[in-house]
Order: sequence, then C-alpha cells, then structure tokens
Amino acid sequence: MAISVKVMKRPEAGRTSYMRATLKGMSLTFKHLVRPQAATLEYPEEQPDLHPRWRGTHRMEVHADGRPKCVACGLCPTVCPANCIRLVGGEDDQGVRYPIVYEIDEFRCIFCGMCQEVCPVEAIHVGHHFENAEYERDRFVYDLDRLMDQDHSTTLLWDPSDRRSE
Amino acid sequence: MPDNGRSPAGAATVTLTIDDREVTVPKGTSLLEAAALQGTALPHYCYHPGLSAPAQCRICLVEVEGAPKLQPSCVTMAQDGQVVKTDSPEALKMRKGVLEFYLVNHPLDCPICDMSGECKLQDYVFAEGREHGRGREPKRVFGRDDFGGDVLYYGDRCVMCTRCVRFMDEVARDSRLTVVERGSRAVIDTFFDEGLEGASFAGNVVDICPVGALVSKDFLHKARAWDLDSTPSVCPGCSQGCNIELHTRDNLVQRLKPRENAEVNGHWMCDFGRANYEGLNRGGRLEAPAAGRGAKRRPAGWDEALGQLFARLQAAAGADVKIVGSAEWSCEGLAALAAVGAETGEVSARVFRSRCAADEDRLPGFPALARRRDLAPNVDGARTLGFSRVGGEDAAGGLEEVAAHDGVLFVLGDDLADQEAAFGEAASLFVYMGAHGSEAAANADFVLPVTTFAEQEGTFVNVQQRVQRFWPGLRAPGEARPAWLVLGALLAALRGGEAAPASAAAAFSWLAGERAAFAGLSYEGLGAEGAPLAAPAGGNGAA
Ligand code: SF4
Ligand code: SF4
Ligand code: SF4
Ligand code: SF4
Repeated sequence: MAISVKVMKRPEAGRTSYMRATLKGMSLTFKHLVRPQAATLEYPEEQPDLHPRWRGTHRMEVHADGRPKCVACGLCPTVCPANCIRLVGGEDDQGVRYPIVYEIDEFRCIFCGMCQEVCPVEAIHVGHHFENAEYERDRFVYDLDRLMDQDHSTTLLWDPSDRRSE
Repeated sequence: MPDNGRSPAGAATVTLTIDDREVTVPKGTSLLEAAALQGTALPHYCYHPGLSAPAQCRICLVEVEGAPKLQPSCVTMAQDGQVVKTDSPEALKMRKGVLEFYLVNHPLDCPICDMSGECKLQDYVFAEGREHGRGREPKRVFGRDDFGGDVLYYGDRCVMCTRCVRFMDEVARDSRLTVVERGSRAVIDTFFDEGLEGASFAGNVVDICPVGALVSKDFLHKARAWDLDSTPSVCPGCSQGCNIELHTRDNLVQRLKPRENAEVNGHWMCDFGRANYEGLNRGGRLEAPAAGRGAKRRPAGWDEALGQLFARLQAAAGADVKIVGSAEWSCEGLAALAAVGAETGEVSARVFRSRCAADEDRLPGFPALARRRDLAPNVDGARTLGFSRVGGEDAAGGLEEVAAHDGVLFVLGDDLADQEAAFGEAASLFVYMGAHGSEAAANADFVLPVTTFAEQEGTFVNVQQRVQRFWPGLRAPGEARPAWLVLGALLAALRGGEAAPASAAAAFSWLAGERAAFAGLSYEGLGAEGAPLAAPAGGNGAA
C-alpha cells in the first residue's frame, strides 16, 4: 500500500509576524481583566458550592448522648443496589436495638442515596463530601465510628417545602 | 362447578357460593376454611387451625346474604346455598375500620421488631388498611416482659388474639398465660414468677403469635425475616421426626420452625428440638478425602481415594466385616453402607449408637407428638435396615469388639468421641466416613468427608415407621459428598456394572428395590409429608 505524505506549507522563516495573533490573545486577556468570567476555581483554597442534592460519602447521625441513631432495621442493606452495607444488629445494655457492626464500602457504593431515602429513623445520610482519597484500599470501608465522626453537611434528597417534588 | 375432589366420597358436603364462585366443602367447614379451599385467604388473628376459634379479633368479617350483619367467617359454618361475599364494599369497609382500631395503640415498631416481614398486621394493613392513620392521641406504653424460657413479650405490639393463652390451655394443657386487665389496658401475663420457664412446648407461642408481641430471645435481632432462606426438613432432635423448616442465612441455620404435618406434629414442635439448631452449624468439618494410616496419611482426590478403596475391598473379599452406622444419617446412606459391607464379605456386626432421654415428653393436646426417648432422627430407619443399637444412653461405649476387630471395618457418621486412638489398629481395612474428624480415626486407611442431613437430600424413618424426606438447606463444606453418592458408586463398582445412583431420587428407588420394607414407595410419592413404611420391621419401641 502506498503511503501518502502530506507536506505542510509553512511560511519561510523571517517572513511572518506573530504580532497579530499575540495582540488578539492579549485582547482576550484584557477583556477578562475588565469583565471577569469565573470559569476556573482556585481549588483547594476555594471550595466548590455543592448542590443541595449532591450525594457524597455517608454520615451516620448521632443522638445527643453519642449513640448512633441507627436501629439496625436492615432496610438499607436490603435496598442498597450495590450491596455494600454490612449490618449486624444487636441489643445494647439498655435493651435498645443498635448496629453492632455497620460498615459501608464506599468503593462499591454508587451514591444513589437510596439508603438515606429508606431509613425510617433518618440515621444514615449521604453527604456533601467528595475529598475521599486514601492511601490504602481498606480505608474505603467506613465503619460505624468513622461514619459517626464525619461532620460534613448531609444531602437534601427532597425539598421539605415541596414534599411532592413539584 | 366441581368440588375439586377435596371432599371424601360419601361424606356429607355442602355447596355454597363465595365471591361468585361455587365451592363444595365437607359439612362443618367454616366459611374461612371454605374460602381458603376456594383460593381466597381471609385475614384472621384469633383463628388458628390448631386451636379453638373464639371469634374475637373481628378481622375475618364477611358479608353473608340474608344475614343482618357481617359474620365472623371463622365460626360461621358453611351451609348449602349460602352466598358469601368476602370483598364487597361493606366487608372491606368493616375490615378497614377494624384494622384502624388495631393501629390506635399498636406502635410503629416495625424497624426494630423481629416479626417485621412476616407480621400479619403489616400484611393486612398493607392489603386492606388505611393509607394514613388518623390517630392524634398518644399510644399506650407497656414495655416488655420476660416470660421465661425463650419467650419475650412486647405488650405494646399485642393484638389480644389470645392464641398464646389458648395454646397453653388447649394444646400444652399447662395454663401459664392469661389476659389481665380489660379494654385497652389488657395485656398477656403469666400466673407465677417462673412464667413459661420449664414448659417444654412453649416456643410454639412465638410461632403462632401473628404479630411481634411474642418473640424468641435466642433469635432476637439476629436476622430479618426477608433475609432468611427456608428449606423443608425433618427435626434431627428425636425419633418423632417433626416436620420443620430450616431458616438459613450466610450458610448457617438461624432458627427452626415447625412445618405442618397432621400425621406427625400438627403445627407444633418441642423446645428441645428448636434449640438444637446450633449443632447443625458446628464447624471443624472434614473437607477433603484422605488415604493412609497415621503418619502416612495424605490428601487424595475422590477418584483416587475411591479407586484405591475399591481395589482394597476387592482384595479383602470374603473378610469378616463390622459396620458402625449412625442414626443421624439417611436411610439411603445406611442401606448402601450395609450393602457395600455385604458385598465385601461376611458382616458380623451392624451397629449404631445414639443418645437416649430418661422419658418421653408428650404434648397433651396433640398426643401423636412427643419428644421421644431416642434422641436421633433415624433410629427406626437404622433398625429397619438391620442395624442394632449398642452402648449406653449417652451414646458412649459398646464398641469394644469393633475397636479390636481384625477384619474390614466401616464407620459412618459416628464421631467415636469416646474411643481411644488405638481404635481399629488391628483392622485389615478401616474406612472412616464422617462429617467431623476424630482422634480415633488415626488408624483409618481412608477418611472420607460426607455431608450431614442438612446439606443433602434423603429420608429418615420416624418412630411411627413413617418415611420422611428432607432437603438441603446448607452448602456442603469443601469436597464433602452425600454418603449415598460415595457408597452407591462403590457398590455399583463392586457389583460390577450396575448403574450408580446419580440423584437422591435414584438412591431411594434403589433402596425401595433392595429392601422389602421400603418396597412400593416412590420418592416423588413421599412428597413433603412422607408415607408409612410398607412393612413395619424391628420397631418395638424405644430401646
Ligand atoms: S448510596 Fe446507594 S449504593 Fe451507596 S450505600 Fe447507599 S444505597 Fe448503597
Ligand atoms: S435503614 Fe437506617 S435504621 Fe435501618 S439499618 Fe439502615 S441506617 Fe440503620
Ligand atoms: S401475645 Fe401474640 S398470640 Fe398472644 S394474644 Fe398477643 S398477639 Fe395474640
Ligand atoms: S419432638 Fe423430637 S422431632 Fe419434634 S421438635 Fe422435638 S426433638 Fe424435634
């Protein structure tokens, strides 16, 4: 098969000026100086404004006395489409049902938010959080303590003033 | 319309119309049962097929043409020419109203309630109840009460159906529960401090409670109902062989529940059997076949192990054979073991050992059911197949002759827990087949892992000489195989060219052809409820 080679025609060296292109570029820069269009965010100094429905890593709500709100009902592991919640229920010293083990594998999670939606006691929430890089894979399985320690704001899955999403 | 062939010929029947469909039922059938026969499940709390019907829960109301008011279907008897409407607007409205009353005080406890997912209040409200409650008043709060034994009572959840009270009165005939107070303050309570402690059938009140008011302490918060897989099985606790369901999750048995069988256990089972499930989850299992004695033992694949064993059995032809079986293994496995022994040489002993209780524990309201003296499920099967019982009531001892035997020795399913490491030292060939390893198996030439009854299909024979099937609820560990599969293959090879059974059904039909007692029975025909043995043999009660 013949190989076709296309030779670009370039102006001879010394016979062209880049002045026009440079000025064109500079005029754009000056335009931004006068009328700034913020396309670039100075991350991480500047943090993005997350949408109220942004769904990031989870957070477990706690009672005033520090106990997790979860009652180990088993609905979130049942509904989770990624099957990434592990729950072992039990009873604490006050006879209250609570999760002995509650783990979410954030690697397998698809951040659908169904766990938050199904939770009857508003315990588990997805949240406004996205900086979750780790040095080790194991660290992506968040246990109960870690989920309770997370302190970012939680996702609003629906607008309380518009319960029917109209 | 035809009567679906359900009513026995000659018996008096009545024909009525339920929801525009004609149905013929035996005289004396209640409307609720007639509707069930016709395919309409009516809601009910106080009615239970094993108990009397006080018609107090008012949730089974149906419209009967000509009657001035709605009728409770559990106590209204079907009559000729009756026209019944179970889903007329009037009946639905009434049932919806009754359900709303139940929810006046019932807590919204479902997330923390063990009954959630199998609760009749959930089901009925979901099917026929109001979408939203209208109650504004605070609900009553009782908290929970320890009833003793394995039973815990959550008073707030109780719907006052009194099934539990009637079970203790009518079936256990040991009145330990009663209703105290009246109206919305009514609760179930025990008469004395010991409550249900020591009552040996009390676990059944947990099963019959239609809501989560009575729950099992052992199962508390352990698993959600919808996470459990259910497998029909037979209780391994005693020779009564109650029909049960294995409820499993994560390849572990989580609880046992009775399965209805009018001939054997009705709707019930005993607490001893119920508590036995932990034995089924015992770890430390044999997982791979091994060949060689003592220090020379090394792992072998099934093909290799069986090939070698076959050659050794052929070489040992005509030898004196002693067999130790187990009353916890299926009839098919035991029969194949006996046949392999007979094929090898002269069988001079066929024995098993099993534990015995001091006495029977009968359920007075259902006398066919008792926790029997023999605490193994297949004692009668083993006897029928020619095994005889040795050793003490604690399933120890009795194997002195076998231990010192110098011919061929087979052990199936007996852990030999009480035996010395020198067991079988003199045997020319010693085959150990079991679920768990044993120190006394050190001299075995072959150690073959076999499955327990919970991991395989098969049959047991109970104390009534009834053959009953069970199904696998657990995955077998490692390479373990059912005993009938291993021994069936050996037997086929020994007999030269016979086809080895490839399924439990084939193993059973082999058994039915081989043993007169099982003749005429078909595996399919046994179904889920079993069938009596053709010729009761060797069954002269407890040993
Ligand atoms: S967000 Fe979705 S995928 Fe992630 S844990 Fe919740 S239910 Fe599972
Ligand atoms: S749904 Fe809520 S209460 Fe139920 S197990 Fe999940 S976090 Fe716990
Ligand atoms: S405890 Fe259960 S079975 Fe007993 S009356 Fe209450 S709801 Fe019925
Ligand atoms: S009576 Fe026997 S077979 Fe029935 S549940 Fe009790 S132990 Fe099991």
